[in-house]
Amino acid sequence: MDIFAGTTILEMGAGAAGPVATRYFADCGATVIRIESRARPDFLRTLRLTPNTPGGLDAAEHFAVLNVNKLSCALNLSKPEGVAVAKRLALWADALAENFAPGAMKKWGLDYATLVKERPDLVMISTCLNGATGPHRFYPGFGGQGSALSGFNHLTGWPDRAPLGPYGTITDSLSPRFSALLVASALLHRRRTGEGQHIDLSQVEGGIVCLSEALVTFAANREVLGRAGNRDRHTVPHGVFRCRDAADGRERWIAIAVHDDADWKKLVAAMGNPAWAADASLASTAGRLARVGEVECHLDGWTRTHDARPLAERLQRAGVDAAPVLDLGDLHEDPQLAHRRHFRPVDHPVLGRHPAEMSAIAFSDTPADIRKAAPKLGEHTRHVLRDLLGMSADEYDALEQKGVLA
Amino acid sequence: MRGNLDGIRVLDLAGEPGHFAGKLLGDLGADVVKIEPPAGDPIRRRGPFWGHADDPERSLAWLAYNTSKRSITLDLEKPRGRDIFLDLVGRADVVLETHAPGALATLGLGWTDLQRKNPRVILCSLTPWGQTGPYAGWRGSDLTAIAMSGNLHCTGDPDRAPVRCSLPVAYYHASIEAALAVTFALVAREQSGRGQHLDVAMQAAMVMPNMATGSMFRMNGNRGARSGASFRQPKSVQREIWPCKDGWVSFALRGGPARIPGLVAMVKLMDEHGMASEKLKATDWTTYNHNLLTQAEVDELSTEFGAFFASKTMTELFQAAVERNLMLAPANTAREIDASEQLAFREFFVEVQNPGRGRLRYPGPFAKIAAPSNPTTVGIRRPAPQLGEHTAEVLAEVGVSDAMLAELHAAHVC
Repeated sequence: MDIFAGTTILEMGAGAAGPVATRYFADCGATVIRIESRARPDFLRTLRLTPNTPGGLDAAEHFAVLNVNKLSCALNLSKPEGVAVAKRLALWADALAENFAPGAMKKWGLDYATLVKERPDLVMISTCLNGATGPHRFYPGFGGQGSALSGFNHLTGWPDRAPLGPYGTITDSLSPRFSALLVASALLHRRRTGEGQHIDLSQVEGGIVCLSEALVTFAANREVLGRAGNRDRHTVPHGVFRCRDAADGRERWIAIAVHDDADWKKLVAAMGNPAWAADASLASTAGRLARVGEVECHLDGWTRTHDARPLAERLQRAGVDAAPVLDLGDLHEDPQLAHRRHFRPVDHPVLGRHPAEMSAIAFSDTPADIRKAAPKLGEHTRHVLRDLLGMSADEYDALEQKGVLA
Repeated sequence: MRGNLDGIRVLDLAGEPGHFAGKLLGDLGADVVKIEPPAGDPIRRRGPFWGHADDPERSLAWLAYNTSKRSITLDLEKPRGRDIFLDLVGRADVVLETHAPGALATLGLGWTDLQRKNPRVILCSLTPWGQTGPYAGWRGSDLTAIAMSGNLHCTGDPDRAPVRCSLPVAYYHASIEAALAVTFALVAREQSGRGQHLDVAMQAAMVMPNMATGSMFRMNGNRGARSGASFRQPKSVQREIWPCKDGWVSFALRGGPARIPGLVAMVKLMDEHGMASEKLKATDWTTYNHNLLTQAEVDELSTEFGAFFASKTMTELFQAAVERNLMLAPANTAREIDASEQLAFREFFVEVQNPGRGRLRYPGPFAKIAAPSNPTTVGIRRPAPQLGEHTAEVLAEVGVSDAMLAELHAAHVC
């Protein structure tokens, strides 16, 4: 039995953060309906769009991967009839998830305060960069801004270089997780109490809560934590080291994390007890911290003569925490991800067979799965409005003729 | 204070990678009981310490991620400790743990043991690689889990090693995933009446932050690359993090039609400061498409934008950005975040009273909840517990009297 079989979630908005959140539910059997329009397409559908892209809005790879298992209902919200249909769907669905800028839903009369009058147990989540209130609430932004505002950029990179965001704009990936957690907890709460709620999720605030250690350290000691490359202030060595290039010339790297003096001994033995590592002062963390640059330099000299994955396997056999740095292509050959069936194939009408990703959760009793490709824009408009919402044929045809369903 | 997870009892055996998971469940109202070995969670001995005093009740990493929990001490490796734990499982909804796969089973506390004691209990296991599979027995941590996710390969400067965030983002990502897995399983249990085992892997959790590009490799052959403070477009590399007078700001040339108004407003602002060239002012933004820009065109734009940013502070630029919707953001440190007027308006920060140590300012709720009346709330319920602070009250629930407790203490069971 799927966890969310029979549960309907209406999704309004664009970009990555909203769609990833509802994917968790869709993969567990929920009917997730995206409201979209050709008048203002989701920017993920246009990210790489040029006038010559075959398949147009339905050919965006990014959109396709993030939106498997969902339905698309085309509604033009610049027309009052489109807004009226959206409202009916919102009142009918089990939950409403939106990530427009604050104010957009209110403009349409689709805000929580309006909808709750007609559906007291409504569960709704609004996600945006800075939250639904406050002087910066209307401030628009993409994940790049979220990563900067919440402190991740400052903490990522080399101390002598520009800060960097962790790849993939991290607030865009943290917020869907928070969102799914919150919506599931709200649905559970409604099931047990009959009460609905409106959740106001600020991507920046969620990110800052993750970085609580940096904020609490500042509050306690006025110390501002900074970026430190791959070093750890408590242990040495802790870093990423160059390995032999791949046969095709690609750079190869290995991550090695020594957590204590026992790990260090294992690493030294695995290296074959080289003379430089025999120095007794390096046997203690304090000694290695004092000579971190030297230790890293020696280690790098050693790793360069090895291939990354076999070396990681060898270090792991010796009990050392080590792993090859995988690129995006390597992920598809990784035996551990393959074992979890992390990537699963799906057949897309324009793009053909492509992989999509599962969550990081393996459920023993209620497995999630990928069942269908991401929808073409408006692919399920008729199904959603006629079969699910129960709209009459006459009304549907009239809306279609007026151009509302596009 | 009501919460969405009121009445849910969580037994939290998690080490550092899962500290945040228990906090999230506690912030939603669950009664989270942290079970520590009698010597305390190892993180308690790791600095930095509040006031620089080497004290297990002042470790900031402990204090940061263990609010909204109670603490008991119990040695699960001793038969008596194991039995008491199973008694607690009989009254619990969730067990959260981060042991190596199989380690709990060795103690007689594996999934089948817990299920036998309480068929409704949910076991959530958070590990670097997962419970089964060729690398299940590997060691792992933040750095190595990110290394195996594709995310590390793509983060950093092109001329240096791949680089991570200096705080462990794999732990945060995987912890939120674990908390949501638990919540999903609680929903499932409403229908099935039974618990289940949730196997959450940090490596897999760090693939999603690549935002689909891992899957897209099969469509575009792109293995990812480090582009430093820039973003790699099909035809060009575009700077996205810029030096300013006193720090760094994030500003992008990409983003489709939604990006255009911010670019137009930025050029207007630069013009007001006499820093926009005639050519820049004459740009036809209606036909602008960042995908079509050549590197030379990008460089020309970057030189002008960069010169303007370098002449202003983070605060000046962000104030203008908020007033004019420039879609620019400062690379904040804890200091700027602490002083944010937006966060102050939302009363985001909260003061937590720590017995014997005083008040400490914390990031507050990860979301705000409104409802027609008497809404549930998200946020810190109680300070991070002192070691074993709640042992007596929790063990009393399973019939441990004061006299027995003294005996257990003497035998180092708790």
